Amino acid sequence: MSQHSHSSSQAGSHQAIPHHADSYQLEVSRWTAGRNVLVFAALLGILGCVAGYFTNPARLFQSYMVAFAYTTFIGLGAFFFVMVQFLTGSAWSVTMRRIMENIMITLPVGLILFIPVVLGLSEIYPWTNPQLMNSDAVLRGKAGYLSQYAFVLRTVVYFLLWSLWAGSIYRQSTKQDTERSIKQMHIASKWSAPGLFLAVAIGTMASYDWLMSLEPKWFSTIFGLVMLTGGALSFFSVVTLVCLGFRRAGILKNSITQEHYHDLGKWLLALTAFYTYVAFSQYMLIWYANLPEETIWYRHRMEGSWLPISLAMPFLRFLIPFFVLLCRPAKRSLKVIGFIAVWSLIVEYIDLYWIVMPTYYKTGPEPHWLDLATLVTTVSVCGLVFWSRFRKHKMVPVGDLRFEQSLHFENA
Amino acid sequence: MNLELLKDKFGLGDDKLYGVMGAFSEPDDLVQAGRKIREMGYTKLDAMSPFPVHGIDDAIGVPPSKLGWIVICFTVLGAATALLLIWYVGAVNYRLVIGGKPFFDFSYSIPVTFELAVLFSAFASFIGMWAINGLPRLYHPSFNYSQAHRASDDRFLLVIEADDPKFDVEKSVEHMRGVGAGDVEVVEG
Repeated sequence: MSQHSHSSSQAGSHQAIPHHADSYQLEVSRWTAGRNVLVFAALLGILGCVAGYFTNPARLFQSYMVAFAYTTFIGLGAFFFVMVQFLTGSAWSVTMRRIMENIMITLPVGLILFIPVVLGLSEIYPWTNPQLMNSDAVLRGKAGYLSQYAFVLRTVVYFLLWSLWAGSIYRQSTKQDTERSIKQMHIASKWSAPGLFLAVAIGTMASYDWLMSLEPKWFSTIFGLVMLTGGALSFFSVVTLVCLGFRRAGILKNSITQEHYHDLGKWLLALTAFYTYVAFSQYMLIWYANLPEETIWYRHRMEGSWLPISLAMPFLRFLIPFFVLLCRPAKRSLKVIGFIAVWSLIVEYIDLYWIVMPTYYKTGPEPHWLDLATLVTTVSVCGLVFWSRFRKHKMVPVGDLRFEQSLHFENA
Repeated sequence: MNLELLKDKFGLGDDKLYGVMGAFSEPDDLVQAGRKIREMGYTKLDAMSPFPVHGIDDAIGVPPSKLGWIVICFTVLGAATALLLIWYVGAVNYRLVIGGKPFFDFSYSIPVTFELAVLFSAFASFIGMWAINGLPRLYHPSFNYSQAHRASDDRFLLVIEADDPKFDVEKSVEHMRGVGAGDVEVVEG
């Protein structure tokens, strides 16, 4: 993201381009229409989940675990990258930052979305079975950590800390819309530095708790990073799709230009490569060391019809998106990055499904309508939180001192 | 390397015209002037500036660099070299069971393949960049311009090269002045 601050160019050619044609406030009629769609989807999803609770509770909670992880890691990706924008003082992202912040602010709602996981603990986690935990010396050693109370308490603490940080940063950013002072930017930066630590360190612990402990004996230190990177990639995919959706509706058309999409394309490419790097590192080291308590996780994913999915992963996760995005014209094409954004979001769901479901279905994936119902529920609830912010706040951080610079941003 | 090219690199060639040069004090003025000059039909333009100026490539019609294609070729070559080496050494030339691992497998070959691909691409981009730019060179005709040194200080220079089919000394000087350039000079090569 090379960029120059050409402060001396204020009086130059840029003034001629009518950037200010955009409205920075979402029209109430449009906002209401969006809200109605989301409320309808949420009701439909929740209705489906309730129906699932009475017909197949075990499956409901298992499917819900995938859906919960899907939206929570997107929120975490947003949390991390909003703070990165503040710390690096990026200008390129300013016109899109409110959209990113609104995704970030869906993170606190995870505490409510976590309630079904608490209700279904014994259906989701094998370690809730005391017989299993007593059967093995390794598992007996982990019993203290993997106890139900400790598990729930840890997650509550994670969410409270994240919410405090995300909320504080969000408040500074919206306050700047009216104050237009550098002070809010400085306060947001001060929260961001320890916030990055919280996002990654606690994000890693949360990954261990929520997903790694599904296989109670298995461990991999890099697992948290793999999950967070997947979430970050999904986050940038969501940002891309939201911007493209707005563009189609004629919203922020002049504020989020091809130059901004080009940078989103770079992030999609970079995170695709980084995801491959960390996910392959995990696989390669486990393959090479060949220790039974480590290989068992991959072993379960090579049985039955899970094997074709495992073999498809390098193509879905790396080869196809990487080579599609590699050259510059591809990253500057709204169609191509829109396609890759949809692709990445679908693959992320398949990936999480592939991480969670082999715990219960040893011979292969067994798709169920509850997969869809739970996904619709968590996505629409987070979507509502995201959307509700546009009612009150501007769609771009108009008070940011780099806003004008961001409007005229060009890739070198 | 032929003698003419060598002479050219060291500035020993016969005196010939390099082009018309002018200077601007703002990067935006350079971009605008470059665009106007190109719209007049000139095709062989060049620009010199103390730092990269956004949009200048587009304004004076610099085609996208071919370096990327050179690099990707070498990346593939590097990856192929690594895989071939690991496969030949481990599975053909000297078969040895180590830790019960297969004689050849992608799992453990990928780190080396990745590293060699990166190494080859790094060399390709560095050496390729020098080659494409005709480096190293100790002399460039633009040095004869009285304001040449300011391209690394506070001026943004625009060149209409004499090779341009539309080039005409008097008219080009007029055009250069017309787009607002200062210190317009005819520069010899």
